[in-house]
Amino acid sequence: MSRLPIDRVTREAIDWLLKLERAPAGSPMQSAFDCWLRRCPTHQLAWQRVNAVMAAPLADLQQAEQRTPGQLALASRSLRELPTTSRRKVLGGGLAMLLVGLGSAGIAHRRTPLDDLLADLHTGTGERRAFTLADGSRLRLNARSAVDLRFNASQRLVVLRAGELQVDVTPEPGRPFIVATAQGQVQALGTRFSVRQDEGDSLVAVQQHSVLLITGNAAALRVEEGQAFRFDGLRSEAVAPSLRTRAGWAEGRVDVRDEPLGELIEALRPYRAGLLRVSPQAARIRVYGSFPLDDTERTLLSLSETLPIRVDSLGSWLTRIDVI
Amino acid sequence: MADLYSDHHRWLRAWLYRRLNCPHDAADLAQDTFVRAMGSSALPVIEEPRAFLATVARRLLSNLFRRRALEQAYLEELGRLPEHCMPSAEDVLLVREALAQIDRLLDGLPARARHAFILHRLEGLTQPAIAERLGVSLASVERDLRRAFLHCLSEPSE
Repeated sequence: MSRLPIDRVTREAIDWLLKLERAPAGSPMQSAFDCWLRRCPTHQLAWQRVNAVMAAPLADLQQAEQRTPGQLALASRSLRELPTTSRRKVLGGGLAMLLVGLGSAGIAHRRTPLDDLLADLHTGTGERRAFTLADGSRLRLNARSAVDLRFNASQRLVVLRAGELQVDVTPEPGRPFIVATAQGQVQALGTRFSVRQDEGDSLVAVQQHSVLLITGNAAALRVEEGQAFRFDGLRSEAVAPSLRTRAGWAEGRVDVRDEPLGELIEALRPYRAGLLRVSPQAARIRVYGSFPLDDTERTLLSLSETLPIRVDSLGSWLTRIDVI
Repeated sequence: MADLYSDHHRWLRAWLYRRLNCPHDAADLAQDTFVRAMGSSALPVIEEPRAFLATVARRLLSNLFRRRALEQAYLEELGRLPEHCMPSAEDVLLVREALAQIDRLLDGLPARARHAFILHRLEGLTQPAIAERLGVSLASVERDLRRAFLHCLSEPSE
């Protein structure tokens, strides 16, 4: 595995390549190079060798670039994002475990964001969990969710850091039960409701009895059973019932009533480790039905059998959905 | 040789399983480890077979994790693309393979030289443009690129 020595002519060829590139057109350097190249067949061989560096993968990337511009820049960014390693040091053993550690941290990131590992309760991709809290309340966490629990003598505070939860609150006079998101607070008045932290806003849906919603400086708003509100820290607005407000996930399924496929796919995302892409045309197709969350493979298959869509998978890491 | 396999196969699979957390990956990598180990010239004189197997397996593991991290980086980049810029499934495979090849080729190159070379080869940036992007002198860029060419050309073909 030791590296091959590089001969003088090859070094010269590298120098020429780097120099020529900087020389303006018609520069005398060009003719000097032509002389060098013609002087000896070994020069030509060396020149070819230097120009062939990385040629095969580059040609593949250029092909992809021609069909879809932007691929080369994307490949470049992907390669530059990775930390550098030295194989020889790895062989030495000392660095091996460190490298393995780094590698797994990088991979784990999509599946479980690192911050959330520090949360009091959390779930990973495809994982749904139910907890009984100290006060007897039942807390369910959807996949890829995280909460911190701050219970004290005056209140029971659950901070939703990511994802989605549903609670069945045990009433306790004088100690309110509050779910806080980045955009506001939901105080339980009765038994069952769900809260979801999205990017930039939150959603509360009440499945039983009612809650008090506080967001920004607005007056507290009472949300009744069957209602749902989206809030962004300034204001809140009522949203129509949908698969998001039904909280079917708590029972391991998603209930869709004539809603866009795109919404259903959103609900499946936390249950798949890879990337799920859906084309805008496919996302608009209306869907009706109840789908299991724990076997997304089967759900996608049954969708492709009943809807005018095609589902392509590249291993477990990229799935694409498009209209036929 | 058959003894090496029968005596240590289960142990190696368990060892890999603890690190990979996936029985299929552990089985695959155990298989690869034996293929590599049996092809090794060091084989007839192994005194510590498990330490030897672990060394081979550790290298395959780090390659696997490296490749996964690269695919993850590519995946994240793909995820940011608007739908009409998404390459076809075939091209995604093509790019993925090309990335792995390039990463293997550049393995062991210092970070700055690696970045300079990638900008030069993949994005076609000129040396002054790379100098500006990386905030280093033109002479440093030239040195880095030369180093990268030498690195790639000295790659032993396994």
